[in-house]
Amino acid sequence: MLDQEVKRGSAEMLILALVEDRPRHGYEIAKLIEQRSDGVLQFHVASLYPMLYRLETRGWIKGRWVEKAGQRRRRFYKLTAAGRKVLNEQRQTWSDFFAALDRVAGINPA
Amino acid sequence: MPDWRAYVRDHLPPLALGPTRELEIVEEMAQHLEAAYEDALADGASNPQAYERAAAQIKDWRLLECDLIHAKRPIAGAWMSRRITVETRVQSEERKFGGINMGSLLQDLRYGARMLLKSKGFTAVTVLSLALGIGANTAIFSLIDAVLLKMLPVKNPHELVLLNWLSGPKGMSRGIDGDMSDDPATGLRTSTSFSYLTFTQLRDNNETLSDTFAFAPIEQLNVNVDGQAEIAGGQLVSGGYHDGLGVQALMGRTLTNGDDKPNADPVAVITHRYWRRRFGRDPGVVGKSINVNNIAFTIIGVTPPEFFGALQVGEAPDLSIPMAMEPLLRTGSKSLNEPWFWWVRIMGRLKPGVTEEQARNKLEGVFQQSALAGWNAAMAQAEARVQPLRSEPRDVPRLRIESGSQGLSESRSQYSQPLMLLMVVVGLVLLIACANVASLLLARAALRAKEIAVRLAMGAGRWRLVRQLLTESLLLSFTGGVLGVFFAYWGKDMLLALRPWGGGELAINLKLDLRVLGFTTAVSVITGILFGLAPALRATRVDLAPALKDSSRNVSGGSHSAIAKMLIVAQAAMSVMLLIGAGLFLRTLNNLESVDVGFNRESLLLFRVDPRLNGYSGPQVLSLYQRMIERIQSVPGVRSATISRHPLLSGSRRSTTLSIPGYTAEGGRGEEVLVNVVAENFFDTMEMPVLLGSGLSGRDDQQAPKVAVINQTMAQRYSVPDNPIGQRLSDGPTQIEIVGVVRDAKYTGLRQATRPTIYTPYLQGSGEQMSFAVRTAGDPTLLAGSIRDAVREIDQNLPMFDVRTQDQQADRSLAQERLFATLSSFFSVLALLLACIGLYGVMSHAVARRTNEIGIRMALGARAWDVTSLVVRETLVLVLVGTGIGLGAALAVTRLIASMLFGLTPNDPLTISFAVLLMIAAAALAGYLPARRASRVDPMIALRYE
Repeated sequence: MLDQEVKRGSAEMLILALVEDRPRHGYEIAKLIEQRSDGVLQFHVASLYPMLYRLETRGWIKGRWVEKAGQRRRRFYKLTAAGRKVLNEQRQTWSDFFAALDRVAGINPA
Repeated sequence: MPDWRAYVRDHLPPLALGPTRELEIVEEMAQHLEAAYEDALADGASNPQAYERAAAQIKDWRLLECDLIHAKRPIAGAWMSRRITVETRVQSEERKFGGINMGSLLQDLRYGARMLLKSKGFTAVTVLSLALGIGANTAIFSLIDAVLLKMLPVKNPHELVLLNWLSGPKGMSRGIDGDMSDDPATGLRTSTSFSYLTFTQLRDNNETLSDTFAFAPIEQLNVNVDGQAEIAGGQLVSGGYHDGLGVQALMGRTLTNGDDKPNADPVAVITHRYWRRRFGRDPGVVGKSINVNNIAFTIIGVTPPEFFGALQVGEAPDLSIPMAMEPLLRTGSKSLNEPWFWWVRIMGRLKPGVTEEQARNKLEGVFQQSALAGWNAAMAQAEARVQPLRSEPRDVPRLRIESGSQGLSESRSQYSQPLMLLMVVVGLVLLIACANVASLLLARAALRAKEIAVRLAMGAGRWRLVRQLLTESLLLSFTGGVLGVFFAYWGKDMLLALRPWGGGELAINLKLDLRVLGFTTAVSVITGILFGLAPALRATRVDLAPALKDSSRNVSGGSHSAIAKMLIVAQAAMSVMLLIGAGLFLRTLNNLESVDVGFNRESLLLFRVDPRLNGYSGPQVLSLYQRMIERIQSVPGVRSATISRHPLLSGSRRSTTLSIPGYTAEGGRGEEVLVNVVAENFFDTMEMPVLLGSGLSGRDDQQAPKVAVINQTMAQRYSVPDNPIGQRLSDGPTQIEIVGVVRDAKYTGLRQATRPTIYTPYLQGSGEQMSFAVRTAGDPTLLAGSIRDAVREIDQNLPMFDVRTQDQQADRSLAQERLFATLSSFFSVLALLLACIGLYGVMSHAVARRTNEIGIRMALGARAWDVTSLVVRETLVLVLVGTGIGLGAALAVTRLIASMLFGLTPNDPLTISFAVLLMIAAAALAGYLPARRASRVDPMIALRYE
């Protein structure tokens, strides 16, 4: 299990990255994080939604209720222009950070 | 499938984000939990496992609340403006609902209910004490409403007026039947009784009243239904009575002017109560023939259930009979034709646009003329003895018109004092309950200080939090109110049965109607605000910095404990007042119960008969009594039977004015003494020893010289030092020889001091209604049946009424004292208990706060006893201050109940000392328990205590 601090710092970027190509709802996001990390990263309701709202409040993502025929309405989040900028910046920062770690400690980022 | 939306809603505290946003958040999270639950099921988990897995998504709701608020309201300056716009939107939404946001109100309620359910002990104690307080107030108010406030259940009662008059001491009547009192404003005598002549003249000569009608009570009617004779109450009414009041018959018809004629068929209208009680709701009652005082009457109608007539409150005449039938019912009575005898009450309805003053001006002349005509007629017929009155100028009576919306009102004052006193007592209990709940809430607020501080720091508005806390208080008080209504419903009938005014049964409708429930609701709201506001305001005025440092010790100092201490002082003060009141009433009851009545109260059965109602008169009555006494004495188990005009300790009595030799000057006014007319074996049966002389004998009849036995008090007051036997008293021209002196005995009641009394033989009387007293060998109630059979053997048609034992008679006269003693003890013990709970709570809290300090003291060498006494001393200081205040207030207030006490003064030192000691002892105990806990603190642990 990753250290709490690292997890919290990286979590925002994970969410932004997941809604980059298409809008997703909260459960889908949590599920994808869990699947793609092979269960190493887990988001529960208690941690996921405050974070989603925080990102939304900052204007990086935008939530919208979408109703499909025969289904209940769900809230989908998509990346805003400001969010895309932040995501790119963060990707760069993390990339630089991992490169530095690799050089020092010999870690090969995935 | 669990309802996840409800699950989230029930767990998530209100976020103060606006209703729409909050609902969205709930929905979104609920969907997530639902999806997690379904996935878990799909993975092969059982239902409970899946539920557990989904529920595990949110472990700490409080933390989630903080995170959500924080996420939505970051304090960062860049987003400040955005937040303000959101808040403006929320506020404008709130304004749409008249300032109250319904969505968040429901949320407040739900959250409040959840918080209350969490601390069940606290909730139970507060709800129960509030329910007792509110219930007691509701019950007493329903009684006050029915007895003092309600209007007659008739058409437009506010239009009704009731006539009365004011007169100087030399009035124009020669006999009044009805209440007469001194008018407090003018000092003149006042009464609502008029002569029948006055009524007919007022009815026939007026332009201001649209209906004028008269009525007068008749106490006892012998009503024989299908061969069963029983006594009933009734009233004589003029033909326009029911129309004037606007009362419709429930069945049949009401009386009309046609029924009120001398030659009309005798008819009667009965009340719903009587129909139910005597006829078992027989639908064929209309047209039924009954015998009233041996005259055949036909029942023509039944009045509605809520209508009891317009007599004094609580009086319910079973039968209404036209005035014209009066001479039939009271054989030989000429009341209708005696203009000097004032006995009927007159009511009317003001015509539209007429004021009471205009009506008075129009009617006064008619009244004064008829009063004068009555007086002149009386003088023309009067015997020589009163002729000097003829030349004396009389006081001309003045007419007054007052509201008749409540019917006759004289007796209301008799009920108002005890009822108001009870209201004060229950009001104090409710105040104590409020103070108690307030101190418990304060203690709880201290425990919740952290939660409140966090929410304030997160940006929740102070008003919003006050509202949340007040919602909790109101929830408490309303729950208490609902429970209180149940208490009141159950308690009011008990209260009515206990008869707080000490009289007979009251016919009133005691209903928990809208008015009473409105009162309860108002009391609940006021109560909730009263005990909830101070703690709520106090709780939200926290100093955030120390509060957030997770040390509850720091939050609860200062003004918080000042309020708590004030509440303790107030509770102690009110408790002491109630304790003193209870003590005074208890001792009064005790004094009255141990009064020496002067005769043997035990194993005596009392009942009354009135043969005159069956047409017996004069000598027939006397011989009937003689036969009845002999017959009853032959019943097995009866030791002796006797009769007297007035039963002892029943409140009824007669007095007369006598000239006493050596005491009353020639031609003087004479001395007023009490009289009872008795059979010769009265003293033996009642076990009143004859101290001097022979007593009465069966030979003291109409032909023999008049004789009397006097009591000790009379002998001592009027004939010391001579032997009174053989002396003669003069009752006008009649000479009465004293033939004996009997031991003093209580006559009218336990409270009254013994007054000079004479006992005269019934065989020398005129054959009046008598009361029987039967001395039995065993339990007197067991013999009631065989005595009734014995009476029936003598006369099938003679009803026995007022059957009770002498002890019951005495108890009945103590009903008010017993009620006050019982209720005030109950409520004062309750008050004491509540005060002690409050005290215990506050002191426990104070001790917990000072654990650190106590640890230091003990580490420095203080012994357990020092610590205990330190805490107890602090408790006692508070209680002593409260007791002092309560004592002062009690001394000022108990004077008002002086007239209700017996054998002690309102400042009775014994009672006061006992009340004060009880208060201090109870408080010391309540303070000792936390103190002992404090003294057992391990200094090492205490010093580490944070």
